[in-house]
Amino acid sequence: MPGEQLDLPISTASVTERLPGRITPMQPAPGVAPFDDPAYLFEAWWPGIRAIAVVDGGRLVRLEAEGLADALTAFGELTEELPGQLMEDGVVLDGWLLALDEGGWLDTHLLRRRLGGDGRAGRPAFVASDLLWCGGVDWHRRTYASRRQRLEAVLLDGDRCVVSHALRGEGTLLAEALARFGLDALSARRLDARYRFGGSGEGWLRVPIAPAEHFERPRLALIQRLPFEETD
Amino acid sequence: MARSMWRGAIQFGLVTIPVKLYLATEQGGIGFNLLHASCLNRIQMKVYCPYHDEVIPRSETVRGYEWSKGKYVVVTEEDIDSVPLQTMRAIEIEMFITAARDSGGTQFVKQAYYLEPEQIGAKAFYLLKSVLAEQGKSAICKIVLKDREQLAALNPFGNTMLLTTLHWPDEVRAIDELNLPEDQIEFKASEKKMAEQLVASMTGDFDADDYADDYRQALMAVIERKVAGEKPEPQERAEPTNITDLMAALEASVAAARTERKAAKAGPKAGPKADAKADAKADQAAAPRQRRRKTA
Repeated sequence: MPGEQLDLPISTASVTERLPGRITPMQPAPGVAPFDDPAYLFEAWWPGIRAIAVVDGGRLVRLEAEGLADALTAFGELTEELPGQLMEDGVVLDGWLLALDEGGWLDTHLLRRRLGGDGRAGRPAFVASDLLWCGGVDWHRRTYASRRQRLEAVLLDGDRCVVSHALRGEGTLLAEALARFGLDALSARRLDARYRFGGSGEGWLRVPIAPAEHFERPRLALIQRLPFEETD
Repeated sequence: MARSMWRGAIQFGLVTIPVKLYLATEQGGIGFNLLHASCLNRIQMKVYCPYHDEVIPRSETVRGYEWSKGKYVVVTEEDIDSVPLQTMRAIEIEMFITAARDSGGTQFVKQAYYLEPEQIGAKAFYLLKSVLAEQGKSAICKIVLKDREQLAALNPFGNTMLLTTLHWPDEVRAIDELNLPEDQIEFKASEKKMAEQLVASMTGDFDADDYADDYRQALMAVIERKVAGEKPEPQERAEPTNITDLMAALEASVAAARTERKAAKAGPKAGPKADAKADAKADQAAAPRQRRRKTA
C-alpha cells in the first residue's frame, strides 16, 4: 500500500560498543609557507567548523563540532544524507562543516547564522578529510595514506557530503589555486603519519597562504575558528 | 559652507582657545514617512490626554519627573535655567590620559564633532594638538550641548581635532550581565602562533573609503526604479549548486594555476611531449570526481 510504513530488513544491531566516546580531534601545527613535498597530501583549509561525524547502525548518531552543543540539530539535513553515502557502517570521519550560499559558494556569514540556531540559513555541507573508524574497526593508528585511501573508497560524493579533494606533493600549486579562491590557508598532512588525538606533531600543518589581490569571490570572509578546547 | 552648531572655547588651566563645533557625521540611512495605506497621505501624530479623553495642543504640555510610581514633579524652563553649570560655553578639559584602546570608558562614544579654531586661538589650538599627538594623549573634558552636560574626549584628527561625546559611567551596562567564562582560558604556544599568523595575514591599513553601505545602495536603486515607474525586478540569482560543484571549481582553479605555471616556465626547450604530459595531468586534475551513488 502506497505510503505505508514498512519494516525494512535493515540490521538495527548497534556497533556503538566498538566506537569511541567523545573524540578530541587532532590539531594542526602552524606551518610557515606553502612547500612541495611528495611525503605530504595537500588540501584546502576550508573556512568552516571542524567536526567529527559518527555513523552507527545506519544513522548519523553524533556530530561533534568544537564549541557547539548540538551540531546534529543545526545540520539536520546531514543526518539522512551522510549515512546514505557511506559504503560501511560504524564509521568515524573527521572533516569540516560548511554553509554554502545559493550559488554554491562558501559563506561564513550563513555558517554563523546556522550555528546560531537558524536551521534554514544556507545549504549545509560536510567535507571529510580523514577516517578514524571504519566498519567498527579502529583505523587511527594506520598511516594517513591508508586512511585516506579507505575514506575515498567508503564515502561516495553527494550533494552535501564529499571527500575533500587533495594534491600529493604540490603544495605551492594548490596554494596558488586556493589564493584565487580567496582561501587563506592549506592543510598539509604527512602520508606516513598516524592520527594523534589532540595533537599532531609535524604530521599535520596548517599553512598560511598570501591571499591573491583579486580572487574570484571577494565576499568570502575568512574568519577561522581557532581550536579552544584542546586536551591531551 | 557647513554651519557650526556650537561656539565656545577650550579651557584648561589659564588657557582659553575659542573654537566652533561641527557635526562630523550624518545619518546615512534612507528615511521613510508613514502614510495611510488607503489614501497615501502622511499620517499625523496627535498628543492625546486619556484623562480628558481629548487631543490637546503641544503647548499645553509640561515636563514631569516621575519621583515615585504615578507621582510627578513639574520641571519648568526656569528650573532648568537655574541649574549652575561651569561648562556653559566651554570645553573644559578635566585631565589628559594615554590614548590606549582600553582607557576606561572612552570606547562608549555617542557623537563625533570636528573642531575649528577661531583665528585668534589658532596657535594655541595647534600647539595643544601637536602635544596630544606627540605624547599619544587624549583630553577628557566636559561640554554642555543641547542643555545637557556631556562627557567627551578630545583627540588630534587630520588637520584639526575631534571631540567625541561619551556615555556617562551610569549609562554603560556592566559586563557582569554576560555569560563569560570565569576561568582564564589557556592557549598552547602553537595555537597562539597560528592565531598570530592569521592576524598577520589579514593585517592592513584601514581606509573607510574601501567600504560602502551595499544595502542602502541596493534599496535606493529599487526606490529609483519605482519613482521612474518601473517594477523592481528581483535580483538574478545563480542556479543552486552543491558542494561537488565547489570541488570541481577548485579542481579547475588548480588546473588554471598549473597551466599558468607551465606557460611561465615553458621555454623554447620544452618540447611537445612535455606539454602533452602536463596537459594530461591538468585535465586529470580539472575533471571533477565522478559522482557515485549507492544503489538501493
